[in-house]
Amino acid sequence: MPALTERLADASKQKLRTVQDYFGLAGKALRFAFVRPFYHQDLVQQMDEIGVKSLGIVLLTGFFTGMVLALQSSVQLQTFGATMYIGRLVSASMIRELGPVLAGLMVAGRVGSGIAAQLGSMRVTEQIDALNTLGTDPIKKLVTPRVLGALIMMPVLTVINDFVGILGGNLISTLLVGVPTGLYWRTVWEQIASDGFTLRFIPNDFVQGLVKPFVFGGIIAITACYFGLNTTGGTEGVGQSTTRTVVLSSILILVLDYFLTQILLSVLAV
Amino acid sequence: MSDDTRDAAGSRPLPPTGGVEPAGPPSAEQSASEERRQDGRRASERRPTTIRRAIRDELAEEESTDEFYAETHPQEHRVTPVIELDHVYLGFDRPILEDVSIEARKGETICLVGESGTGKSTTLKLILRLLVPDRGNVCIHGEDITNLTFEEALDARQHMGMVFQSAALFDSMSVFENVAYPLREHTALDDDEIEHRVREKLAFVDLDPDQVMGQLPSQLSGGMRKRVGIARGMANNPEIMLYDEPTSGLDPLSTGTITRLIMKLQRELDVTSVVVSHDIRSVFRMATRVAVLNERRIAFFGTPEEMAASDDKYLRDFLGGS
Repeated sequence: MPALTERLADASKQKLRTVQDYFGLAGKALRFAFVRPFYHQDLVQQMDEIGVKSLGIVLLTGFFTGMVLALQSSVQLQTFGATMYIGRLVSASMIRELGPVLAGLMVAGRVGSGIAAQLGSMRVTEQIDALNTLGTDPIKKLVTPRVLGALIMMPVLTVINDFVGILGGNLISTLLVGVPTGLYWRTVWEQIASDGFTLRFIPNDFVQGLVKPFVFGGIIAITACYFGLNTTGGTEGVGQSTTRTVVLSSILILVLDYFLTQILLSVLAV
Repeated sequence: MSDDTRDAAGSRPLPPTGGVEPAGPPSAEQSASEERRQDGRRASERRPTTIRRAIRDELAEEESTDEFYAETHPQEHRVTPVIELDHVYLGFDRPILEDVSIEARKGETICLVGESGTGKSTTLKLILRLLVPDRGNVCIHGEDITNLTFEEALDARQHMGMVFQSAALFDSMSVFENVAYPLREHTALDDDEIEHRVREKLAFVDLDPDQVMGQLPSQLSGGMRKRVGIARGMANNPEIMLYDEPTSGLDPLSTGTITRLIMKLQRELDVTSVVVSHDIRSVFRMATRVAVLNERRIAFFGTPEEMAASDDKYLRDFLGGS
């Protein structure tokens, strides 16, 4: 019995240490953003890798999600003769929830796995040790640009995802449901305006839709860097780090989405 | 039948490897084969003495590194050690190093040898201050580095160059970018000066700068990667060079090239070096002193001649088994 409690205590300590290291890494990465030397080139490279190269996958998923949303809601709304409200439904869903979450999950799969694999390979081939011995802090050189790149590019990707999703909804509502394009976009704007404004001119829907991807971007980059830098066990370890990154990032995105929504709804009093 | 399936005289075909032994009484050929096997066994039993003699002969043939060192470094220049490990203890889940004390004076090449898992690479990490000992001191130029902060340790490492077992070149960067990396990070040199320095270092390690500068590490052979690793390690003109099994996985010619380069660094640039190696032949060529790690402790620390002449059973076995 004492052995069991001892084992449980050890396991809990280990988990706590992992959480502490995770937040320690996040704190250092953000602190180093304000400490010289600045790796501008690495930041631009990461913004390209995280943002520009993820554009295709985000455009595709956003467009088809918007289309399927319009299609499904049209079936329900036709029952009440309210198909003209498709625009409201699609925009509210895309901007508040689906845009940030889908973009987050897509980036976690594409970018998170890539970062974990790259840093994991660097770890097992002693390249991280080499950086250390060359007098460079690996967190500053490798983690900070990736975290900043994700923090900057995730909201951008989400805005594009939202817009393309609403556009996909427009296509279906016009071609299949028969809602005129003008009416569709008018109801989209009505929905955005109906939830009120922050600082008089920023729609609350936009605030919700931009705070979430900012947080998700940070989670994806930190999780990937954490698992990548702590890779052990050769190429098999690299594979495990990649899988853990995608799984944990996806779970954290979905769980935090709920709590963020709860907080934002009460703060913005929507 | 190809030539490589014949014996040394080329007259008799060798049996295929892994083949099944024919049944029945032994033929004359099989008896001869058995005799040869027994001769081989007897020869291998005599091997330790032969290898030690070969090492002694080799040492007698060329000027040894420790003799060169003694000639070029007067006694007064050798008082303060550049690197000093003083009664160092380190352990994680289990003890790794116990009471390890070694020192390297200016311009010396200390070779660390020992069985796998005895803490040789760990010793290098202590010198680099990537690890901190549980007890004891690690001093560079007389200054204890065990209490340095992370940032101070990064600064201290700028005076050291490290060559990794796998070369550890940054695979996303070209050879030029790899060698230029420490210069871009820690110096204010402009692009022309950096290129000049990179060319100089690549030429020093016998690589043609025009040929290799634009290549990626994946396009180089193992020996070339190690040489680029040495060029990167020495780019900042460090006073200390550390090598973690620099010749492992290399063919004999590349091994000779890397060994010569380490000696060249010592003799031409007076760099203080610590080399972890399993290659006894290279160790005897380049070491001013050899430290043998056995069961977490230093079993021997002395010149190659002293090592070759030692009657210590472990050392005899170690040299004989190499």
